[in-house]
Amino acid sequence: MIGRRVLLLGLVMMTGLLLETTLLGGMTLGGTQPELVLLIVVALGMAEGPAAGAVAGFVGGFATDMLLDLPKGLSSLVFTSVGYAVGALREHYEGTSAWLTIIIAGLATAAGVIGYGAVSVLFGLDGLVPVEVVRHAGLAAVYSMLLAPFVLPAVRRVGERLRPRKVVRL
Amino acid sequence: MLRLNERTRRVRLLLVVLLLASLALVTIDFRSDGDGPLTRIGNAVASVFGPLQDGLSSITQPVGNFFAGFGQVGSLKDRVRALQEELALLKQDQSRVLDVFAENERLRALLDIKERLGLKTTAATVIGRDGSNFQQSIVIDIGTKEGVRKDMPVIGGEGLVGRVIQASSSTSTVLLIVDPSSDVAVRVAETGEVGVLAGGGRRDMRLTLLNPNAIVTAGDTVVTASYRPTRSGSSVFPEAIPIGTISRVDPPGGNVTRRAFVKPAVDFTTLDFVLVVTGVGTPRPVASPAASGSASPVPSPGASR
Repeated sequence: MIGRRVLLLGLVMMTGLLLETTLLGGMTLGGTQPELVLLIVVALGMAEGPAAGAVAGFVGGFATDMLLDLPKGLSSLVFTSVGYAVGALREHYEGTSAWLTIIIAGLATAAGVIGYGAVSVLFGLDGLVPVEVVRHAGLAAVYSMLLAPFVLPAVRRVGERLRPRKVVRL
Repeated sequence: MLRLNERTRRVRLLLVVLLLASLALVTIDFRSDGDGPLTRIGNAVASVFGPLQDGLSSITQPVGNFFAGFGQVGSLKDRVRALQEELALLKQDQSRVLDVFAENERLRALLDIKERLGLKTTAATVIGRDGSNFQQSIVIDIGTKEGVRKDMPVIGGEGLVGRVIQASSSTSTVLLIVDPSSDVAVRVAETGEVGVLAGGGRRDMRLTLLNPNAIVTAGDTVVTASYRPTRSGSSVFPEAIPIGTISRVDPPGGNVTRRAFVKPAVDFTTLDFVLVVTGVGTPRPVASPAASGSASPVPSPGASR
């Protein structure tokens, strides 16, 4: 059962990454590409809670680092934190307006981009300009808010399949 | 309540484990310096992912491009404007380059005819034209200071242009061979038949052959002959300068002469550089086409002055 859930999660992340690098790769907003994998992580955290958010963040970050040839572990570190945080805070916004959910998705994306920039600086990676990181974070947030109405419901449906089935013992 | 705390603790433990795993990945990756197990796994995964990416990309690219166009309207407009400006500049450059190429070709032709005929010449630039109905002449930018004298022949890259009819200290007037008052002693290169070529104005020049039974055909080449039926009894033109080709021949009509029409080799409408023939030297021996086609240094119009 766990294997099936991990496989499904991996497939979702792979699909997100494929779409991020192909279809959405050329559709930049002010030169910024969408952070679709991060948005999926945020959506899973929102729908399924901190544990699912953290696991999705780790898997999504790991896949991103591996497939985009980024420094290994950095995206996992950031996405895991974001997925967990969004899930842990969901009791504060769950059941409120859809607009707030979309705005939180945008803010979480921005936090993820800024977090990645900060972690990169901490680990001594050169070439990141703080102003550019903030600009990208803002644009990625806007992009996530535009994609959220489509991504959040789809991920919620996938999340339902990821849930462990309750076994009733008689 | 206890179960909730237990659950929270387990989730936090999961978070710590995942964060530690991430940090372990970072450490392994940094220590391996780009050649570790993670890099190899990444390469292996990328080799599987790459074809998928290519396949999906080829399917979704048109859709992506369509939507990308909306997001990039502003920047695309700027890009189009910049490219249009660049295109205009490139067109100007191209036109200049083509002009220089054409000029280079004309100068090469001048140099070639000068060497082929073994002529001593002085280069000149055409600075004026008289295209009236009364006289067809050009004005060149050299005169007696440069050694130009009346009756000196003037040639272009393709052949004979005319002769100097007036020379001031710094400019000269050249009567074109197409002027109706011009006459030149000529020879048909293929048959050796001689005659006199008179300018035809805006029409083809008239060739009067001395032999009424001369056999000439359209397409034959007409060159200068060292014969001129003038009072002076000699030609002002050196021999064998190309003039043009016979365009039409009148049928024999029992006259003492025979008439044909000649299309000049030189295009007088585009003439810009000419050579004034100041003397005759040694002609260049006939070379193979390959050798004659080799590049030779091309002087500027004033180089041989």
